[in-house]
Amino acid sequence: MTDGPGRPRRETVLPAVPALGGLYAAGARASLRARLSPAGRAAAGRPAPALPDVAHVVRGVTADADHLTAYQHLLGESATDTLPPGFVHVLAFPVAMSVMTAPGFPLPLLGMVHLANRVEQRRPVRLGDRLDVRAWAQDLHPHPRGTSVRLVAEVEVDGETVWTGVSTYLAKGVAAGVGAEGTGMGGTGTDGTGTDGTGTDGTGTDGTDPRPLPTARWRLPADTGRRYAAVSGDRNPLHLSVATARALGQPRPLAHGMHTAARALAQVGPARGDALVWTATFGSPVRLPATVDVAVARAGDGWTVTGTGRGGRHHLTVGVAPLVGT
Amino acid sequence: MTPSSTLGDPGTRVGDHSGAVPGGTRPAYVLGGNRTPFARAGGRYAHASNLDLLTAALDGLVARHGLQGERVGEVAAGAVLKHSRDFNLTREAVLGSALSATTPAYDVQQACATGLEAVVGLANKIRLGQLESAVAGGVDSASDAPVALNDRLRRALLDLRRARTPQARLAVLARLRPGDLAPEAPTAGEPRTGLSMGEHQAITTAQWGITRAAQDELALRSHQRLGAAWDAGVFDDLVTPYRGLVRDANLRADTSLEKLAALKPVFGRGLDAPATMTAGNSTPLTDGASTVLLGSREWAAEHGLTPWAAVVDAEVAAVDFVHGEDGLLLAPAFAVPRLLARHGLALEDLDLVEIHEAFAATVLCTLAAWESETFGRERLGLDGAFGTVKEDRLNVHGSSLAAGHPFAATGGRVVATVAQELHRRRAELRAAGEDRPVRALVSVCAAGGLGVAALLEAA
Amino acid sequence: MTTTTPRPALHRPATDRPGPVPGSDPGSDPALTSADAYLRLVQAGPAAAVARRLGLPRPPVLRRHVPGAPLVEGPVLVLGRGAEADALAGLLAAAPAAGGRADGWDLDVHRHPTEGLRYGAVVLALTGLEHPGDLADPVLALAGVLRRLAPAGRVVTVSRPARAGDPPARAAARQAVDGFLRSLAKELRGGATGNGVVVADGVDVLAPAVLGTLRFLLSARSAFVDGQLLPVDSGAGTLPADPERPLEGRVAVVTGAARGIGAAIASVLARDGARVVAVDVPAAGEALAGVANGVRGTALALDVTSRDAGRRILEHALARHGHLDVVVHNAGITRDKLLANTTPDRWASVLAVNVEAPLRITEHLLAAGALTDAPRVVALASTSGIAGNRGQTGYAASKAAVMGMVAATAPLLAAVGGTANAVAPGFVETEMTARIPALTRQVARRLNTLQQGGLPVDVAEAVAFLASPAAGGILGQTLRVCGQSMVGR
Repeated sequence: MTDGPGRPRRETVLPAVPALGGLYAAGARASLRARLSPAGRAAAGRPAPALPDVAHVVRGVTADADHLTAYQHLLGESATDTLPPGFVHVLAFPVAMSVMTAPGFPLPLLGMVHLANRVEQRRPVRLGDRLDVRAWAQDLHPHPRGTSVRLVAEVEVDGETVWTGVSTYLAKGVAAGVGAEGTGMGGTGTDGTGTDGTGTDGTGTDGTDPRPLPTARWRLPADTGRRYAAVSGDRNPLHLSVATARALGQPRPLAHGMHTAARALAQVGPARGDALVWTATFGSPVRLPATVDVAVARAGDGWTVTGTGRGGRHHLTVGVAPLVGT
Repeated sequence: MTPSSTLGDPGTRVGDHSGAVPGGTRPAYVLGGNRTPFARAGGRYAHASNLDLLTAALDGLVARHGLQGERVGEVAAGAVLKHSRDFNLTREAVLGSALSATTPAYDVQQACATGLEAVVGLANKIRLGQLESAVAGGVDSASDAPVALNDRLRRALLDLRRARTPQARLAVLARLRPGDLAPEAPTAGEPRTGLSMGEHQAITTAQWGITRAAQDELALRSHQRLGAAWDAGVFDDLVTPYRGLVRDANLRADTSLEKLAALKPVFGRGLDAPATMTAGNSTPLTDGASTVLLGSREWAAEHGLTPWAAVVDAEVAAVDFVHGEDGLLLAPAFAVPRLLARHGLALEDLDLVEIHEAFAATVLCTLAAWESETFGRERLGLDGAFGTVKEDRLNVHGSSLAAGHPFAATGGRVVATVAQELHRRRAELRAAGEDRPVRALVSVCAAGGLGVAALLEAA
Repeated sequence: MTTTTPRPALHRPATDRPGPVPGSDPGSDPALTSADAYLRLVQAGPAAAVARRLGLPRPPVLRRHVPGAPLVEGPVLVLGRGAEADALAGLLAAAPAAGGRADGWDLDVHRHPTEGLRYGAVVLALTGLEHPGDLADPVLALAGVLRRLAPAGRVVTVSRPARAGDPPARAAARQAVDGFLRSLAKELRGGATGNGVVVADGVDVLAPAVLGTLRFLLSARSAFVDGQLLPVDSGAGTLPADPERPLEGRVAVVTGAARGIGAAIASVLARDGARVVAVDVPAAGEALAGVANGVRGTALALDVTSRDAGRRILEHALARHGHLDVVVHNAGITRDKLLANTTPDRWASVLAVNVEAPLRITEHLLAAGALTDAPRVVALASTSGIAGNRGQTGYAASKAAVMGMVAATAPLLAAVGGTANAVAPGFVETEMTARIPALTRQVARRLNTLQQGGLPVDVAEAVAFLASPAAGGILGQTLRVCGQSMVGR
């Protein structure tokens, strides 16, 4: 799925991992400017310009042990010295954010929806490893509800790419500036992990298969989003509180994206192995507080984890498969 | 079946009187038991602690068997819901009992299988000649369960202790939010799945298609049989009243299918399959303690005690419920076939089968698995179904649905009850001129997908 | 029993042990001490003086047995003439291992009153009476020292029974002892008691049962036995090697042992050396376990009215202890109602527990041939069964029945040196009597010479005495432990 334009030719090397708070503020200001200015309003509904051909790079990123422990405990992982793939995402995410908030990024940050995610981890990343993180955007595509874009993050340790993450986001109501290729936002249908096609529109299961019997249940209290924000640094206002969620058109805060995907991965536990492909397709967001029925099942050599709301709403499907032949 | 003994170890028979053989083994016997009547949580034992209950059960055992001041080889017991202050629960109970203070003790914990595992471990020590006598036990108080501090409050309190300056202390306190002061209620949920045991069983129940009617019938039988056993004096030598409670408080010998059918389902309501598990066909939260006296034949003779049954062998199994491979409480379905295979026995060779009634559906799912051709072939590696258990051999004096289930105390309750029954049946057979082994199977499922099965043979 | 740790007392903190645990000193057990507040009030302090001035009853402090304490506190005066009186006096005075038929008691014995001396006990050896006139000398000698009798002192007569074939004068003299003793007992003060041994003709005055009874009556063990004459009808019985541990090596079953008198019996039997099987209904199991652990015995949860009670008791005793020597039928219930209001089930249950169960159990033990070595059956009767009590027709019937039962059982056991007797308690401070309305209870307590209720331990001491090897010559008797109650004999 990273078969688009590939790595940009230009690099912007940042001195350190940027603070996410600042990035959100900058992104919010930019989004508001775009909406409020006559030019911005005119831009809405018009084709967005192309993606800048630049990658942001931060070298020598290291994990903090306490931070890692807090993340692992919150997600239900054992506090080992191996970084869960989702925690590597946490380390790399600010660099991707830096890409999305840089001048020239064609889509507004606020209100963007995480549609799907795919992570390839070739070997485990350990506490103490120095990570070189490179992030860029690619695959700006039209989507029935706006424009989708993929944010790619690569993590190298000692010059070897050990972790690659591709996050597919939807900017609602923004038309793509490039030719529609009809790939939709699912984006995970070609990776062969068997997680394709399960209700990505948030309206529930497709109605043919009976709902799988749960193997686990998540009870997510109202402060779930804040707690994840505290360990991920991702203070997406949609996740934090009723007030901030309402400001963005949601009645209640959400648990969504890497948070629930990482929980689902933790649900599989050590059985997932060290080299893996971890995919997530997100349906309707989990409105907090919530109870989510989770079903872990064998899928080929790996596992699928399906999260379903009490009313049968499909929240996410996560695939975990061993990575072979790298 | 050959009418030979099945002690498992070559050259060792239940009837052997030989002592410990270096490098070999000898039989270990159940010599007696004592438990408190089981109370419903919040009932008669609402303010009794695990230590109180276990000490009471021990004292009753000592009184029944005249062990005052005796140095028993070892006492092993445990609790599932355990306060941190009870880190040495069993030893403390020994020190508070009429046993000699020189009796060693240790704590065991294997969730609901704690009591049975304590029996098995100590019996093995006796078999090896490490011990001449032992007391296995278990206790749980759902009433006096530990309530944990909210994690954030707990960490703040620990940090506060480490803080050196007033400013540092203030900084710690400033972290606290009002919500942090709320205690964490104890949950019966599986840590890895967040599902309670009942919810897990509801899923397994749906998978095996166990009906509400079958569950209610099993529950009714449990109450009727336990009630009949009490009336027949079965528990006169097994139970010592405590805190004014003389019978198991959960027992409703006069319940009926109509009454059971009127209850609303409490587990499995979010599933597509109809919810079938009610408060009537699930075990309630219970308080109580049990003990089992174990010993070598020589020790028994020295103390004028009659061996009831030998603890022949045991098998532990675990299932992968985390990935949905098997139901949480279905491990005994694997442990039992492995145990019986080791002795060349089949289900029909057993005179008594005790399957702990965590829920009526747990027993029915286990039986259904054993009766399933597919399960037998694909999961147990057999040619077909493992077999069936005749209803008149199953839980003959009732089980946990009627008696209640103070988690760690259930194993001791079952072992003592079934050992006495084995002894009685063997005596009856002998009186009728028939001499053959009389065997019982005890199976207890436990949290974490665990299951322990033990084989007992009348002495 | 290589694993048994020799330890004199159980290691248990008193604070977290619910329920009574009779230990080696029953007197110190709160369950066994007096609940009589009036008694505690007037026995000492200013209230005692007020009570004296007002002429209110001032119940004395009774001396109760403490292991190791002297048999009698002070010298013993032995009055009476003849060879038997001399033999008795000699034995009481002799050194412990003096040889002969019995070890001496090593007491400070006087044969004539010494002026100014305070006597611990006076023994009237009256077996030689031939004529009522013979009574004058010893009785008047006693009169001279009565005011010098120590607190809780003892007067014990040793006499012979009046029989139909006796010369009238001899029978008159012998019978006179009866009325004299009962009246004397009522005159004694300060916890002193008067009792007698009535030795059948043909039985040596130094026979084990005579000496055993004499020792019991002289000792603090008989604190609440007063005005009683206990017949010794045979020379059977053996004297214990250690008078402090007369039940050493004996196995005793006590029914109704969970509380009250039964718990005290278990405790006293254990103190005297017996291994105790404590029996009570399953519902009383918690208290029963406490009693069994307190006396280092075994608990057997059992309803005595069940058909197989005898078999189960025997099996338990044989399996756990190897033999069975003493059976104490203590379990009993009351269902007090006027006869007019008595329902069939009330009547039946009282009779079933109080007499039918002891009958059936004893019958089983006899039929099983289990009682072989000088067995002792002791059953609990009641003064109600002697004097009757309004509202207790069933209870009194059952308790009178017990007296009949032991009288007929004793001969059945004689062949193996055994005997059966009963103890009839008067008013005893128990949970049962604590339920009597307060005023009635206060009156009931004072209606005896000692002006107080007895304690469970007092009954237990009498039971232990009748269970002892020495009591073999006491055949089918009922010993009252009532402080010489005004009702009945």
